[in-house]
Amino acid sequence: MNKAILSILGRDRPGIVAAVARVLFDQNCNIENVSQTMLQTEFAGIFIVSLPGGMTAEDLHRELDARLAPIGLTVLTKPCDHGLDTCAAAACEPFVITTRGPDRMGLVAHISGVIARHGVNITNLQAMFKGGDAPGDNIMIYEVDVPRAVDLQTLAQDLRDKAADLQLDISIQHRHIFEVLHRI
Amino acid sequence: MLTQREIISTLEMLRNENLDVRTVTLGINLLDCAGPDLSYVRRRVAERVMQLAGQLVPVCERVGQKYGIPVVNKRIAVSPIAAVGAALSPPELVELARTLDAAAREVNVDFIGGFSALVEKGMARGDRALIAAIPEALAATERVCASVNVASTRAGINMDAVLMMGAAIRRAAELSADRDGAACTKLCVFANIPEDIPFMAGAYLGIGEADAVINVGVSGPGVVKKAIDRALASRPDLDLGGLSELIKKTAYRVTRIGELIGREVAEHLGIPFGVVDLSLAPTPHVGDSVGEIFQSLGLLAIGVPGTTAALALLNDAVKKGGAFASSRVGGLSGAFIPVSEDLNISEAARQGHLCLEKLEAITSVCSVGLDMVAIPGDTSTDTISAIIADEMAIGVINSKTTAARLIPVPGKKPGDHAVFGGLMGESVIMPVNNARGDNRFIRRGGLIPAPIHSLKN
Repeated sequence: MNKAILSILGRDRPGIVAAVARVLFDQNCNIENVSQTMLQTEFAGIFIVSLPGGMTAEDLHRELDARLAPIGLTVLTKPCDHGLDTCAAAACEPFVITTRGPDRMGLVAHISGVIARHGVNITNLQAMFKGGDAPGDNIMIYEVDVPRAVDLQTLAQDLRDKAADLQLDISIQHRHIFEVLHRI
Repeated sequence: MLTQREIISTLEMLRNENLDVRTVTLGINLLDCAGPDLSYVRRRVAERVMQLAGQLVPVCERVGQKYGIPVVNKRIAVSPIAAVGAALSPPELVELARTLDAAAREVNVDFIGGFSALVEKGMARGDRALIAAIPEALAATERVCASVNVASTRAGINMDAVLMMGAAIRRAAELSADRDGAACTKLCVFANIPEDIPFMAGAYLGIGEADAVINVGVSGPGVVKKAIDRALASRPDLDLGGLSELIKKTAYRVTRIGELIGREVAEHLGIPFGVVDLSLAPTPHVGDSVGEIFQSLGLLAIGVPGTTAALALLNDAVKKGGAFASSRVGGLSGAFIPVSEDLNISEAARQGHLCLEKLEAITSVCSVGLDMVAIPGDTSTDTISAIIADEMAIGVINSKTTAARLIPVPGKKPGDHAVFGGLMGESVIMPVNNARGDNRFIRRGGLIPAPIHSLKN
């Protein structure tokens, strides 16, 4: 079955998910996964949908754009192919990398650059920069999958070195520690 | 997906509230190393320790780093040396202590416990030899810890052993007079000693235990204090029932960490996992103090009226939260109140809020006893033994563990200051009633019978 992935962006307000879901329903598309988030005042949603026979991602895009653009939503649609999941292919361990420290340009670029160089996949990123030097005001939390073949010591050392350059306080911890502390 | 709150609060506990795993203790059975020939026993003991403990420290470091949780102390507990060295003389047992010390240094653990005897009902030849060897063994070694169980609810109190331990403590202090009697900081006298304590100085591997086992001691008084402070800041009217619930939840979290780290270390070493000892164990650092918890709960200082009730609440809540978090709980499991090892408690003693008698009273509701108490150097053997006997009676009658770790600091008087160094901390010398007097009651010896409620069969 054909699938498409849609990304919806726009200023947040009540009714966005309902509007998108109504178009999909009218077009006989089945929603398989949705994730939505809000950053400051902006809404972002990602939908993976299965398409009815004969419909292409382009067909769906035309319909979505026609009905959502007038209400201020931007739509990106593309076919969803089923490439290998990088971390399903290789055994991985989930880690959490957290940084705190003074705000400056390029923090995400520098830290994510080290993570990428080691072939480590970011599965979730939350970052908040209020600016200034108060460490609690500027936080990055990377949830990552570290392939077993990656040398954790080297990764950790490279991250610590980069964090030291950026005056960031960094922690690299197996995800399990957060789960055992907070969840039954 | 983890929430930001879960991640930030974990980091807070680690960075600002001194959350750590206080000790991973490897129990090593040495019973099959016994023999009449000292050199044979020394060789077997050294080989066994090296064989089983060689990887303990690197594995703990690796697992600690993986989770970002420091494993502060790595330790070893061995079978009671009174049994392993039952055929040896006191001077030979001192040599065996040196072997243990050297092995501990070799594998880089900070303490090795088990220079121990179990004499609650009577003393065998090896027990007498071990007790005679204790003062010199402790003074001559850096890392060896000793414990003697002189009482139990099922057997009563062996008063002959109590008197011998009073003398041993005095002698150990004299032999380490240049270090304020620091040899006594490695010596505990117990009632109802558990077989699986991971904490020093009382750790030994019980006779009923397997070849080897990993036991874990968690800590976290700083985490408990900060949780109380935060809760009271947002809800100043929170009552004691609410605070008990809060401590339970916090103890749960702290214990889960110990369980996680302990199991993983055990798996890496290929050694069975034993128990988590759910204790609030302080260190001489601000923010890592059991004494500070009393102040957060609303008391002027530990020792003032209300202290026993507060400690009862604290101890109970720690056990309830911890019991749910761990598959197997053991050791001492409760709050420790070691005077010199806790900055706040030692300050309360210096200011006169905490006296020896109040300390004794509160040991009836906590997990240990008169712990790390510096007393005048001229306290008589009779009086030291009498203090031990009182503490043992609390344990025996209440079916709980109690212990005495007393340091008669040579040449020092009440109000003077003693420094033991490192984790052992420092403390004011606490005054003792009838310190220099004799005590005919104690000298009568014999066995104080087990209480009526020991007849449970």
